[in-house]
Amino acid sequence: MKEKALKKKRTQAQKREMIWAYCFIAPTMIGLIVLNFYPAIDTLWQSFCKTGDFGKGNIFIGFANYATVLSNSETWHSLWNTIKYALIEVPFGVVIALVLAVFLNKKLKGTSLFRTIFFLPMVCAPAAVAMVWKWLYNQQFGLINNTFGTNVAWISDPNIAWISIGIIGVWSIIGYNMVLFISGLQEIPGDYYEAAEIDGATGIRQFFHITVPLLSPTTFFIVQTRIIGALTIFDLMFMVMDKTNLALQNTQSIVYLFYTYAFTNGNKGYGATIVVVLVIFIMLVTFILQRAEKKLVYHP
Amino acid sequence: MKKIIALLLAVLLVASLMVACSGSGSGSSGSGDSGSGDSGSGGAKTDAITVNIWDANQQKGIQEIADAWTETSGIKVNVEVVDWDNYWTLLEAGASGGTMPDVFWMHSNTVQMYMENDILLDLTDYISKENVDMSVYYEGVKDLYTRSDGKIYALPKDHDTIALLYNKAIFDQYGVEYPTDKWTWDDMYEAAKKITEGSNGDVYGMAMNTSNNQDGWYNLVYCYGGQVITDDHKGTTIGSDEAKAGMEMMRKLLTVGAPQSVVAETGTDSLFMSGKVGMITQGSWMINSFYTAENHADYAWELLPYADLNGNGTCEKEERWSAYNGLGWAASAAVSDPDSCFSLIKYFCSEEGQTKQSELGVTMGGMKGVSEAFTSAFEGMDVAPFLEAEDYSLYFRPYTRNTTVWEDALQQAGAFLDPWQNPEDAALMATACDNAQKIIEDAIAAE
Repeated sequence: MKEKALKKKRTQAQKREMIWAYCFIAPTMIGLIVLNFYPAIDTLWQSFCKTGDFGKGNIFIGFANYATVLSNSETWHSLWNTIKYALIEVPFGVVIALVLAVFLNKKLKGTSLFRTIFFLPMVCAPAAVAMVWKWLYNQQFGLINNTFGTNVAWISDPNIAWISIGIIGVWSIIGYNMVLFISGLQEIPGDYYEAAEIDGATGIRQFFHITVPLLSPTTFFIVQTRIIGALTIFDLMFMVMDKTNLALQNTQSIVYLFYTYAFTNGNKGYGATIVVVLVIFIMLVTFILQRAEKKLVYHP
Repeated sequence: MKKIIALLLAVLLVASLMVACSGSGSGSSGSGDSGSGDSGSGGAKTDAITVNIWDANQQKGIQEIADAWTETSGIKVNVEVVDWDNYWTLLEAGASGGTMPDVFWMHSNTVQMYMENDILLDLTDYISKENVDMSVYYEGVKDLYTRSDGKIYALPKDHDTIALLYNKAIFDQYGVEYPTDKWTWDDMYEAAKKITEGSNGDVYGMAMNTSNNQDGWYNLVYCYGGQVITDDHKGTTIGSDEAKAGMEMMRKLLTVGAPQSVVAETGTDSLFMSGKVGMITQGSWMINSFYTAENHADYAWELLPYADLNGNGTCEKEERWSAYNGLGWAASAAVSDPDSCFSLIKYFCSEEGQTKQSELGVTMGGMKGVSEAFTSAFEGMDVAPFLEAEDYSLYFRPYTRNTTVWEDALQQAGAFLDPWQNPEDAALMATACDNAQKIIEDAIAAE
């Protein structure tokens, strides 16, 4: 009781401190409200509307957009495409980055050079990365087909285009994941490895019995953020796949579908609905992951 | 002391934030200090006008014409290029509450929407006040920028037509005779077949993608008597027997052309310029790209082939069709100085401005009879077929209120992508025409 009463009464100094605190977070808060919260709420509102041109003349139509979006097979196909992309990007992006991180965490010659090389894709503009890969994959003039003497339609064969896109995703994200892993690795005390070595554990045993469990909080964080990242993928498909590409239907992500409806066809309400559906889906996935966290992550 | 520093920092932070905001605001409008006219009642005279266009090929010429206007008006004109996709995103964002450029191009895809929502400056009064003769412009272009209630929102800037582009070197190499103005679509098929077979598929006789509509397969539909969009812009006959006959001819051409997987990845223009394709069809707005290309000496233009429907062996006026389209010069309804903006638009579309436009090789005119000079603007390349196309039949580029919805759908799976993918199967093309009929009808119904 006494404590509560004390908390309520703030001294002059505390009050002034509070005002300062608000001053300092104001720029961020204003930015968030204007650029994030307001558009998010407006998107939700638009999803219940038949939107007019130029943001004028929106007509409230209740759940009609949702009924169309959910009953349209295109939505589910795109969502499945997005999941397929995530199924490539997340596991491969994490495993390869982990292995690289373990190697580059050792005190060897040239580690910083290799760290830089692997991190480089993160520094490049995603659109530029996609353009370069588009030309690498090109069936007629592409470097891949020309080097290996193959004639594979990497990005226009519906059966393999989604894998080709996934590979670009993995390539782009490895560096970022790797840096996070390296920082995680550096937090593992060296004593564990020393002790294991004295007990005669091999490098591989050390990796699976010390590194993997002690790194699991980092791994979980990466997996979770990358799943969300992969589910909102857009730029790769947009840059690599031409509109007349036969494989587009089997690769277009749900955000791409949103873009088509909202910006190409000018149907903002329908586009907003697709996005809201995606947000709900991501919330579900995150919820499940959070529940699984206790079981998957090793807490010593 | 510390507090003072903190206060100073905070003030600086907020100030810089505000500056950044307002900076980006005026940056997107790009109209310099035209913001000072906000409080005025619209009579304020601006000293700079921002012009937005999407074609980098035309920037130099447009700027030159605008500079000629600046000499008499004393108002500076900045011509800025925003590429096609971003152009419409920016313009729509500007129209929805931001700042728009002062003067800009309009296109048949979107102009209906802009006119209906009063985004554009109403030019009707200016036109009658300054006695602008509207009859000198191409009908279709003029009608496009006139709203159903008769108000005019843009003046015709130009018009374009379609022609056949071929690579002489490839024709020579495989011993095929050059296209002539007597060519039917079947002749084109035979020539393409010779090239494709002669090279064992290394070089393709022709290439056309589903996205080559205005500059490609639309023309076959009209040649054989179909209509992608009917004259009242409320329907289509693409599922009719005539249109199907046109698309059947298209299918035949595809069997000897570059496969869909190839054109989807590389694009017909790039294929042509890298010597992989003997013939493509292209619009007059693309001439400069080919004129400045590395091997331009090998390139030549010819009239589009015709369909000898009555079988008499000669081409009648209604047997050869080319699409034509025209951009319009429009201004934003919210400009601070509408008088100066109209004055600039009027100059662009005057006989002087239009003649300059064709002399500089920017485009053919929106005004009739000023385009002769255009053919001599490209030394060493004969572009006369674009003008000769007008001796035969022209149809205005098909549009409805929301063109992109059905235009995009027609290019993709479920419509013409299916027969393009498998041109050997004649039934697929007929089905695609039926599907296209439904896609367009549904899209129009939803407008």
